Amino acid sequence: MVRAIARRLATGAVTLLLVTAIVFALAAMSTGSSLPGESVEDTSPLTPEQRAEIRALYHFDEPLHVRYGMWLQDLLRGDLGRSFHDRRPVAAKIAERLPATLALNAAALLLMILVSVPLGALAASSPGSLLDRAAGSATYALYSIPVFWAALLLQLAFAIRLGWLPLYGTQTSGMEAAPLVARLHDRLAHFVLPTVCLAYPGFAYLSRFVRGILVDNAAAESARAARARGLAPSAVVIRHGFRQAAVPLLTLAGFLLPRLVGGSVIVETIFAIPGLGHLFVGAMFQRDIPVVMGLTLLSGAATLGGVVAADLLYAVADPRVRRA
Amino acid sequence: MRSPTPGCAVPRRGHLPRGLVAGGALIGILAFFGIAAPFVATDRPLLARGPDGWSSPAARSAFGLPDAPAGRSATAVVMAPIPRAPETIQLDSVLAPPGPGHWLGTDGLGRDVGSRLVHGARVSLAVGFLSAALALLVGLPLGALAGWSRGPIDAAVSRGVEAMLCFPSLLLALALLASSPPWLSALPDSVRLALVLGITGWTPAARYVRAEFLKLGGSALVDSARASGAGSLRIAVRHVLPHAAAPVLVTASFSVGSAILLEASLSFLGLGVRPPTPTWGGLLTEAAAHLERGWWLALLPGAALFLSVLGCNLAGEGLRDRLDPRSRP
Repeated sequence: MVRAIARRLATGAVTLLLVTAIVFALAAMSTGSSLPGESVEDTSPLTPEQRAEIRALYHFDEPLHVRYGMWLQDLLRGDLGRSFHDRRPVAAKIAERLPATLALNAAALLLMILVSVPLGALAASSPGSLLDRAAGSATYALYSIPVFWAALLLQLAFAIRLGWLPLYGTQTSGMEAAPLVARLHDRLAHFVLPTVCLAYPGFAYLSRFVRGILVDNAAAESARAARARGLAPSAVVIRHGFRQAAVPLLTLAGFLLPRLVGGSVIVETIFAIPGLGHLFVGAMFQRDIPVVMGLTLLSGAATLGGVVAADLLYAVADPRVRRA
Repeated sequence: MRSPTPGCAVPRRGHLPRGLVAGGALIGILAFFGIAAPFVATDRPLLARGPDGWSSPAARSAFGLPDAPAGRSATAVVMAPIPRAPETIQLDSVLAPPGPGHWLGTDGLGRDVGSRLVHGARVSLAVGFLSAALALLVGLPLGALAGWSRGPIDAAVSRGVEAMLCFPSLLLALALLASSPPWLSALPDSVRLALVLGITGWTPAARYVRAEFLKLGGSALVDSARASGAGSLRIAVRHVLPHAAAPVLVTASFSVGSAILLEASLSFLGLGVRPPTPTWGGLLTEAAAHLERGWWLALLPGAALFLSVLGCNLAGEGLRDRLDPRSRP
């Protein structure tokens, strides 16, 4: 098992290096056209001295491989560079936006599990039934709905027509002095629509995934033995099916994470939530390449970390892999 | 298609899967509107009668010809079903709800939503299909090379694919657009988007083709071809590649769907095709700006997007059922 883990970590390290190379290549292509003061439409041209200072600050005059090396060294120290826009450290800008994105994604993941696992179990309890097919088609259709359209329709229905929920933002202005319970309620109300928007595309694959594993396990010997011992079908699903589903569920991490991050970009933009996705889109419009690089790298590295961790857990949890 | 090896041919018998028919029909209808847009929604008459006989101003403009000199004095005989151009601004009928004058209402600048919707199909579908083709063009040779050669090339390609898959496709496309290298920003909008989505979206094709080559590389199929004296390249192209056709077709139809969705996301964020060219994503951005007064703006562009993505996904699933009997439930 130690050898398998060591190998996975080694290939993971190679992939991580490639991830940094992709991010660096993306940024390197833009050099020159993006330096403040060098574009045609810039209204406040810099003096040559200021320009030289900026070029030195961002190492623009070094050859590419040297810059890549310097950038990697900085990364190892946790330094993601400085924003073109306000010259603040990118890491600090990311840190202050992280909580909103984490809260939104955690809530979306929770909602995804709360809806998909029971739905998948329900569908698996009678494969091929009307219920199973209806659940399959409904989640499948949901999966094809563009998230920004769903967001607009939900805003139209629940914020504008019914007035039950706020349209966007994270809190109602003027609520700062309100009692804690009211403030908390206000905060939560602002997160309902974004959470639903981020979570619903995942209902399809997560519920089908759960269903698939449970159906396979129901046909397995152990489940038949359990039924023969007189266990109720629901008990077979819960006590035997889910335990075996836990391991393959881990592999979903690599599948879910990039989608959640991509979804956050759109959802945070529509609902004006000051998270990482919002920061990313803003940085794009400002051509703030260090911020774009930092966030792209962060999402790539986080996903890779999730995939490798899932593989390692898989190796630990699955006795067949453990022995190898 | 003639099958080069017996026994593993594409199945021919049986009914087409319902998903494939429904998905194909959806895409077909939307593609018809996209292709026929200059005749479905235009303010020029389809048929006009002038002093020197019959003419079709709509056809002239669709093929980029200047208006006929006598065109102005001609009287319109047959108008298009939606007799409005997508970019005509009418400030006296801003945010008009759906009604006789404008079947699907007007937007914040008085432009006809129906006309913009029909013309929007052009960008969405063109970018979707073009970028899927580009993704295949990159992914197929890379995947085949990796799966066929194994060893260090395979390891390199596989790590590359794994690294690419770590990034959400939307983020990768956005980052590439943000860095906007000169060779990219010189291109027309829709070609640029197709290129960006192709460059960032080739990994699924590469993965499936590699898996197929890896699976068949050591099979009796290859051994027998080699025994009969075929060279390595010939075996790869003539005997193994046709088997990879099925998974490739399936991934291609899924990737058309996801490219349509990504193009719309980019246009929605304001980073795709620039206004005033109508795109479904761009129409939804306008809808978001007038959400409280113009509900009709949000409804149909999103529905069109939904149907085209659903169509691609249904067609992909249907193809998979048709081509790979093992995946049938």
